[in-house]
Amino acid sequence: MKGFGTTVFAKPGFTTAVILLSPSLLLVAAVIAYPMALGLKYSLSSGSLLRPGGFIGLANYIKLLQSPGFYNSLQFSVGFAIANIAGCYTLGLGIALLMQKGVPGQGVFRVLFLLPWIVPSLVAVVSWRWLVGDEAAFVNRIIKAFGGSPIFFLSTSGWAVLIVILIKIWRSFPFMMLSLLASLQSIDRTLYEAAAIDGATPRQMFRYVTLPQIRNISIVLCLMMMIWSVNDFDTPWLLAKGGPANATQNLVILAYRYTFDRNDVGMGAATSFVTLFGLMVLVFFLLRLQRRK
Amino acid sequence: MSNLRAYFVKLTLAGVIFGESVAAANAAPVTLNFWDMQWGVSEYAVAAQKLVDRYNQEHPNVHVVYRSVPWANWFSTFTTAVASGSAPDISTGAGFQAVYFFSQDAVVPVDDVVKEIGEDAFVPGALEACRYQGHYVGLPWAVDIRLFLYRKDILEAKGQKVPTTWDEFRAVCKAVSGNGVYGYVSSGDSSGVHTLFVTAINNGGGLFTKDGKPALTSDRTMEALHFLADLAKDGSVNPASVGYQNFDAVASFFQGKAAFLIEGSNLPAQAPADVREKIGILPPMKSPHGDIGTNEWINNIMVYKQTTHPKETFAFLKWWAENEKPLWTEGNFASFPARKAILQDAYFQNNPNYKYAIEVFAPIAKTIAAQKGGTFPELNEVDGDAAFSTLIQQLWQGKPLSQIVPPAQARLEEIMSH
Amino acid sequence: MKFGQSSIPRLWLTALLAVIVLVINFPVIFMALNSFQTTQQMLTSRSVFPEHYSLANYIFLISNTPYLTYLKNSMITSFGAALLSVFAGLLAGYALSRFSNIFLGIYSNLLFAIQMFPIILALIPLFILFRPLGLINNPLSVIIVYSLINLPFITWMSRSYFDTIPRELEEAALIDGCSPIRAFMQVILPLAGPGVAAVSIFAFLFSYNEFFIANVFLRTQNSMTLPVGIQLFIQQFSTDWGSLVAAATLAMVPTLVLFLLVQKFIAHGALAGSVKG
Repeated sequence: MKGFGTTVFAKPGFTTAVILLSPSLLLVAAVIAYPMALGLKYSLSSGSLLRPGGFIGLANYIKLLQSPGFYNSLQFSVGFAIANIAGCYTLGLGIALLMQKGVPGQGVFRVLFLLPWIVPSLVAVVSWRWLVGDEAAFVNRIIKAFGGSPIFFLSTSGWAVLIVILIKIWRSFPFMMLSLLASLQSIDRTLYEAAAIDGATPRQMFRYVTLPQIRNISIVLCLMMMIWSVNDFDTPWLLAKGGPANATQNLVILAYRYTFDRNDVGMGAATSFVTLFGLMVLVFFLLRLQRRK
Repeated sequence: MSNLRAYFVKLTLAGVIFGESVAAANAAPVTLNFWDMQWGVSEYAVAAQKLVDRYNQEHPNVHVVYRSVPWANWFSTFTTAVASGSAPDISTGAGFQAVYFFSQDAVVPVDDVVKEIGEDAFVPGALEACRYQGHYVGLPWAVDIRLFLYRKDILEAKGQKVPTTWDEFRAVCKAVSGNGVYGYVSSGDSSGVHTLFVTAINNGGGLFTKDGKPALTSDRTMEALHFLADLAKDGSVNPASVGYQNFDAVASFFQGKAAFLIEGSNLPAQAPADVREKIGILPPMKSPHGDIGTNEWINNIMVYKQTTHPKETFAFLKWWAENEKPLWTEGNFASFPARKAILQDAYFQNNPNYKYAIEVFAPIAKTIAAQKGGTFPELNEVDGDAAFSTLIQQLWQGKPLSQIVPPAQARLEEIMSH
Repeated sequence: MKFGQSSIPRLWLTALLAVIVLVINFPVIFMALNSFQTTQQMLTSRSVFPEHYSLANYIFLISNTPYLTYLKNSMITSFGAALLSVFAGLLAGYALSRFSNIFLGIYSNLLFAIQMFPIILALIPLFILFRPLGLINNPLSVIIVYSLINLPFITWMSRSYFDTIPRELEEAALIDGCSPIRAFMQVILPLAGPGVAAVSIFAFLFSYNEFFIANVFLRTQNSMTLPVGIQLFIQQFSTDWGSLVAAATLAMVPTLVLFLLVQKFIAHGALAGSVKG
């Protein structure tokens, strides 16, 4: 798809490409270059925001990579991202498949499924907190009705991690669903008709027609979901500020705590850059994998 | 030659215009930016704005712009402002914000205003909590005393007497716990950490020794922590406290699901009418060593170094500190004033909770600087540091003290060694 | 759609979806129900669902708080950011889809870097950058930052949607004498309708609900957006939850209306016939 026809576009293509890219480049240059450079400088210095200190080389990075807090956050960030991607994709694809052929009231459904995403994060998290927060909460009442004893979801690390993952999946799946739905509905129907003529079962059609067609967008979506999960500050912070006992403290919250709670902007910046570096490595390998197939 | 002449003409013109604009600037009203935290429900901001309007009316040459600052991410709000040269002229803030910013050379002392007002105009202990390196880094304006409140009806229902010592407290909590009711409810956020402060200070301990060394592992403080851990072990503490925020703990208390709660002295006023009379303030309990005491927070007003109108700002500060009564009478602010004169008003004298807190608890209350006293910039980092909320969360989770206290002590030592 | 891929009758499907929608949206419904309770009632009620319903929160919200100002500001920033980022992103996505050279390769990687960069780190430098430009408390600052944040994924998604449109279409147009830009605008863009609508909605939504960045740049009550304004209901030790959930419920209404209007453009594309000719 890529190389086909580029000879036609080769010469005028370059200028067209530049023209097409110029608004983006302006935005990027103006807004991201300076903060990135400044952030890098901070990561190599000591001191606070109000009183940046002197150059200390890689000391921040070394201190970070030797702190158990970093590995705690790293573990949580990775687990959170994987669970989030898996959950969102499954749920999103499932619902999109149900809706792809058009149901009565499709438009209304499409919008209603967006609700978890539309709700402001603060309220979404609080709403969940009220549903699971203590013995009298809704979920515990249901558990009691079935004869169980109440679970203090937000009081133990294990359950709290599960809840924060569920909340994130709940909030993010509409995005997946909508994108996959648009993609599914753009698939050329003639492909299905051809497969039907060849005698393919619905399962085979899903595997050999649908999946390949949505492969590219799926990879893009999963990559983005990974990046958004790792960089998600709101969900774990609003639920329990990274608690209980730092169980849900991801790398971004760690960076925030360093910068604002501990006035150590150097460590905060170092954490951010290490996160960035980790993501870049992951993305690089995943894209490589995609291209090889 | 004519070019030079033209040049001088332009220069003169510019000078005239400049001179005129300087004169004009002196005649134009001075603008002051006053950033005030969200100290209460919406009535507070309305009452504060009205007060500011009154000031503007009475002082036509000064225009104060009032801004309400949300508590969320308050520290980043102020630091970004200061770091980018856009700090306000004057603001209220967290308890140790003033002394921290003072140490960063962003806030100027208010010694002159204190001298004008007079040191004995303030409630005892209030000024002391704002003194650092011989200067008053902020003007005290509100005192927030944290103390134990209790549900009279729950105690009566179980035939329990009001506890006067820690052992009695533990027994009462155990007796009333069961069937979804708990002896004590707390939270896992900064309000939950107040439990630690209140009990530690009650026992004559605290975060620091008299010379300012970290004292989480000191005998007195550890006794307080053991006391709390025992309560949790007894099953007297609501396990949901780990994940609670203050609102949830208060709701639990109002709903009659907990017998005791640590909050501010005027909490009953927030309760619905039928619950109000059932809430009482627990008289100071004697710790195992016979000590009494509790935790307080002195909120203060600070003036920023970046202000271009220090004279007008200090004048406004003095006026605000003297006329701030409407913040309580109309704004329903929950703490009580640091000014004795305002405290004499019927609004406070006729409120038994306020009166009791002022007369009985104010003399024995200490800030988190206990037992060192005074104030110092490191306290700003201590206040709100994750290490302490983590400690209290783990304590309510029932984790052994030997495991959870050392990291918090280490963190405290780290903060103090900066 | 006669190829009978699934044998679930339509009505059952609708019923199933309705159930799923209700279950999934339960927290939202719960929140909306609670918005009819005052904070006082929330503090004291023992049941999960409200016992008394009243409009007190909403009346208070509209008459006593700058809620409508917040709403206006949110609309301005979200629309502005969506417009800017979709404009830049569509063009860039098309370029990435159709062309291939080193310049574009570097740009593509740069996009990743931007997407991955924790914005939290950039906020203070940006604040310092924007202040002398007078952009603090100005919606433009937020529009620019949001556009930048949305740019990478809008570019990628646009590119993915453009990838599914065969090149023969532009080539046919070029042969007919169109310039490349015109071919893009008149042939390709309409066909990418579902994709365009989807990315526009995303761009709008990401900006509408964003809190952190807006909190840094928009601080006066006149310039605050909804997520920031809502935070003002949270005091030091207590929160006016009644007003907060009412504000949040109300905040969802404009977006819902907007999407109901726009969603019909995310109808399935009409590609099937156009290539064969």
